Parts: sequence; structure tokens; C-alpha cells
Amino acid sequence: MRQIRILLADDHTVMRRGLRLLIESQPEFSVVAEASDGRQAVQQAEATMPDVAVMDIAMPNLSGIEAAQRIAAAQPNTAIVILSMHSDEGYVLRALKVGAKGYLLKDSAEGDLIEAIKAVHQGKTFFSPEISKMLVEDYVREIRTRGAEDTYDLLTSREREILQLLAERKSNKEIAAALNISVYTIETHRRNLHEKLNLHSLAELILYAVRKGIIS
Amino acid sequence: MPKIQVVRSAGVLARLAWISMLESKIRLPGSGQTSPDAVYFGSRLALLIGFGGLLLIMALAGIDALRVLRQFRNNDEEIRRLYLFQNHVLNEIRSDVYVSGTYVRDYLLEPDPERAEAYRTKLEDVQRHMESSLETYGHQATPPEFQHDSALRTELVNYWGILAPIFQWNPAERRRSGYAFLRDEVFPRRQSMLAIADRIATINEQQLTAGNDQAVSLLLRFQTRLLVTLVAALVLGFGMASFSTRKILKLEHQARLRYEEVADARGQLKDLSARLVQAQETERRALSRELHDEVGQSLSAVLMELRNLSAGLKGQSEEQSRNHVETIKGLVENTVRVVRNMALLLRPSMLDDLGLIPALKWQARESAKHTSMDVTVATELDSDDLPDEYKTCIYRVVQEALHNCARHSRATAVRIRVEQRPERLMLIIQDDGQGFDVRHLKGLGLLGVQERVARLGGTCNIHSKPGHGTILTVELPFTRERRSIDTRETDSHPVG
Repeated sequence: MRQIRILLADDHTVMRRGLRLLIESQPEFSVVAEASDGRQAVQQAEATMPDVAVMDIAMPNLSGIEAAQRIAAAQPNTAIVILSMHSDEGYVLRALKVGAKGYLLKDSAEGDLIEAIKAVHQGKTFFSPEISKMLVEDYVREIRTRGAEDTYDLLTSREREILQLLAERKSNKEIAAALNISVYTIETHRRNLHEKLNLHSLAELILYAVRKGIIS
Repeated sequence: MPKIQVVRSAGVLARLAWISMLESKIRLPGSGQTSPDAVYFGSRLALLIGFGGLLLIMALAGIDALRVLRQFRNNDEEIRRLYLFQNHVLNEIRSDVYVSGTYVRDYLLEPDPERAEAYRTKLEDVQRHMESSLETYGHQATPPEFQHDSALRTELVNYWGILAPIFQWNPAERRRSGYAFLRDEVFPRRQSMLAIADRIATINEQQLTAGNDQAVSLLLRFQTRLLVTLVAALVLGFGMASFSTRKILKLEHQARLRYEEVADARGQLKDLSARLVQAQETERRALSRELHDEVGQSLSAVLMELRNLSAGLKGQSEEQSRNHVETIKGLVENTVRVVRNMALLLRPSMLDDLGLIPALKWQARESAKHTSMDVTVATELDSDDLPDEYKTCIYRVVQEALHNCARHSRATAVRIRVEQRPERLMLIIQDDGQGFDVRHLKGLGLLGVQERVARLGGTCNIHSKPGHGTILTVELPFTRERRSIDTRETDSHPVG
């Protein structure tokens, strides 16, 4: 089996060493490059074309978010996992928007990192369980305190299906094949989803799915 | 935990800077009135017109007086000259009349023909002299004298006409009828001629009097005009004096107000700096306590646990060692959380990492979590990529406003809007709380807000009434340099 090639970017040497030890405890993983700031991370990603990039957010020169955006734009085949101190949804949303597929809290990295790398390498989305939990809790609390109606109830079962598949990062083609309907119909459903949920990007759809517990 | 105080420490530097700004603000002229330039121009124009008019009236009056005096003198001179001249001519005519009488008598009574001839020649001289005098007088005569002038001429012609025959007389005839001729013909003629001359002299005198009267009336008219001028000058002068006085008193009043404002501001400044120093100290104490009590204690505990672990590594069972490690993990996790919270409260990292809007949304969520308020953030920004000082300003203003809402307003909902308008940024924070009287507005927090906004050249308005909620509006002048590509807000996900 081919090893999963990994880029590690964090400005703290101790942290990087810890992560490397953790990753290399798995025989199928190999760390092919390390970077101590965002600019270096972009250069290394370009040079080594890793399968997965694990990036800290707070880095000098270029933030992890900016670096992730550039890497995602230049190399769509590199899956990005963001490592962060922050559990706030603003960070998660931004990470998703710039093209990251995984979002991990540093506190719990040692437990989830392996799983996260495997998941994003397979094209799935991965969040720290704490993040999923917090997003769901926030959603429930918001609905309760504001008395807002649960927009999920507005969706048809077909739209719910499509929402889940979109959140799992399936392409329109893949969804069309899975549900045996046309790509054009999928587009219509997507528009309806955006409108009914008042969400305007895929990133927001994914977060919404996490909040609703549709994916974790 | 004294978290609120930690939040407030962030504003200390800005508030210190505010004090120095206040000093410069005091010196600015009062705003909210008509433009000072317009006021200055108006009063200067009034002063110019007033004093200019006054001086003009006085100058005109002076010129008029000089003109009248000169006219008066000229008139007077002319009248006098004419009078003297006519008098002189009349006197000459008169004396000629007398002299001619004498010569006529001498001629008539002279027995010697040669001498008589000499008298006759003299008489002819006198006649010529009289005629030339009369000619001169005729040129100078005024209309009322024409009549007498022609009467006098006729009389003279008659006179000489009467005298003409006697020159043909021989000495015997002269002796015989000379005296009778003198008595019956010459003397009455002479008398009537003299009477005419007297009448002319009388007219002459009347004219002198009339001339004097004319001069007097000229003077009278001048006097009236002078009186009018004086009254006008007096009225205008009085007006000017009262205008200037009022103006000066007003300026004095304003100066006193300014001075009181300055004194007041200085007093406030002192008070504020005292409060600032105190606030700073309180915040430092809170930070210190938190560092010591939370972080320091936790780290000490970690150290202790690590020592226990290392001391008992050999003797302990794996179970015991794992317990120690778990304790250490828990302690460190707690410490990490405390430090992160402290850092977030000092300055939320999302402001730098993610931009203003996510930071505002985070702040809104935090406020909503810790209070009973429903806080919403709505934005209409072209891009979240604002310069740091704008991000910080808006964020801190929102933070302070939410802080005030939570503490004072009893609001249930707070709406925050950030909008990009042409050449400016608008921040509107509206709550549905109990409101307050804006006139009794005070407190370091809102002053800090005003100061932050003023430093970016913006304006800050608070609309509130007891019972009607509060709207805080901040307007910042801002022009975005256009960027061709703005990738921050775009969804760069490939679908699939």
C-alpha cells in the first residue's frame, strides 16, 4: 500500500516534533516536509505535492488560513487539515471556505489526528468531536432561545439527501449517479437548499450539516 | 472570575491617548454655530459701514462748511466792492455837478473874456469827466438803478443843453442876466440832479443791505444743514457705539464661556486621569491575580505531579503512573483554557486571523451566551479586508456598546450593522433597552468610543430617550483602495 505523504506546518518546533512522532507511529503515514511558517508551507507543498497538509492557523509571515487557501487553489489533490486553538465557528467556517477538509483542535490533536488524516485523504470532511458537539449545541441553543423555526423541517427528503451528499463533499456528478437523477435537477435542489436555509456557500452548508448532526 | 475587568483593560491605552487629544480639542472654536468666518465678515462689514459712514458725514460737513464760508466771503467782498465803486462814481458825479456850478458861476461873472474862455474849457472837461463817470456807472448798474441812471442821463443832457446858450453870450449879457440864469436855471437843475444821485445812493445802500441779508440767509441755510448733519452724525455715532459695545460685550461673554469650558475640561481631565490610573491599576491587579491564582497554581500543581511521577517511576505500578499523567493532563488542559480565554478577552485573535466580521459575530455569540440578550450582526461590506485601525476601532466600539447594553440597558435584543457607504463606513448599534437621557452621558467607556472614532476622523452619535432604546451611530471616513482580486469572501471549494 502506498504511504500517505504528509506536510506538517507549525511555527512551534516542540509541537511539530510531537505531531511528527504521532504521525510516524503509523506505518502508512510519512512526513515528507515540514514548514515553520505559511510561506514556507506553500513552497513545500508546491515542491513535494503531499497528499495531506496539516497546518496550524497562527503562523508568522502568512497565516495558516492564507496558506491553506493558496495550496487548495494550486493543488486540489492536497487535502488540508487545519490545526487550531479555536473552537469558534468563525474559524471553522473560514477554514472550510478556504478549502480545508478537516478542522482539528490542538488540545485533542493526539487523539483525532490519525483519524482525520485518513478521512480527508479519502475525500471526507473531518471535525474534532468537540467542534461537532459545540456546533450542534449552539444550534440547539439558538433555536431554543430565539424560538426560530428549525429550517431543516422545510426541506424535502430529497433535499435532505442531497444536503448530506454535498456535505460529504460529493460532486454534482457523483450525487447524480448515486441518486440516479440529472445534474440539472441537482443544481435546482442546491439552489432550493441555499434559499431555504439562507446559506450561500458550500462551507456554510457543511457547517449546517454538522450542526444538524447529519455528518460529524 | 474578574473577566469583565480584563476586557476593560484593553481600552486603557486608547483612553490615555484620549487625554492628550482632549487638550487639543479644547482649543478648537465652538462648533454647532454659524461658520465663524461668516460671523466675522458680517460684523466687520457692519463696523466698516458704520464708522465709514460716520467719517464720510463728518468730511462732507467740513467740506460744505468751507464752501459756504468761501461763498460768503466772496459775496460779501463783491457787494462791498460794488457799493464802494458806485458810491465813488456818484460822489464824483456829485462833485462834478458842484464844480460845474462853480465854473458856470465863475464863467458868467468873469468880465475878462480870456479867463471866461478858460472857465468854459474847464467846464467842458468837467462835462467829459461826468459823461465818462456816468458811462462807467451805467456798466455797473444793477436793474433797480437803470431807471435812475437814465433819469440822471436825461437830467445831465438837459443840464448841459441849458448851459449851451450861455457860451454864445458876450460879457455884457453874462453880467446882465448871469445871476438870474444861475438862480432860475442852473441851481434847480443841479438840485434835481443831486436828488437823483441821492436816490441812487439810497438804492445803493439798499443793495448793500440786501447783499448782507443774502449772506445772512446763506449762513442760516448753512446752519440748518450743519444741524442736520450733526444730528445724523450723532445718531449714527450712537448706533455705532451701541453696536460696538454690544459686540464687545458678546465677545467678552464668549471668551468667558470658553474659559469656563476650558477650566471645566481641565477639571474633567484631572478627574479622568485619576480614574484612568485607578482603572489601570485595578485591571493589572485582576490580570495579576488571574495569572497567579489560575495559571501559576496550575503550573505549580503540574510541577508537583511531575515530581511525584518521576520520583515514583520505579516503585509505582503502571496504574498509579497513569493516574499521575491523567491529573497532569487535566491541569494543563485547564491552564491552556484559562490562558486562551485571557488572551481572547484582551484581543480576540479572530480579529487578526479572520477579519472584522467573524470577530464581531464571535463577540455577538459570546455576549449572547453570557447575557440574556439576542445579539445579531448584519454587514454590507464589499470586503472584510479593512485596515487594522478600522477593524480595531469598530470591534472595540461594538465591544464597549455590548458591555454597556449588558450592564445598563436591560435590552433583550441588540442589532449591530456595519455598512460600506460611498467614502465611509457606518456602524449602527441599536438596542431595545430602557434608554437614557443623553445629556447625562458620562463614563470612560463612551469617552473611549468617541476618542477612537475621532482619531480616525469619524463622528459618533448617540440617540436615546428613557424608555425608547438606544442607537449608537458611528461614521468613519473610509475609501477602499480597489483590489482586483478579493478572494477572502469567495468560496474556493471545487464542488466534489
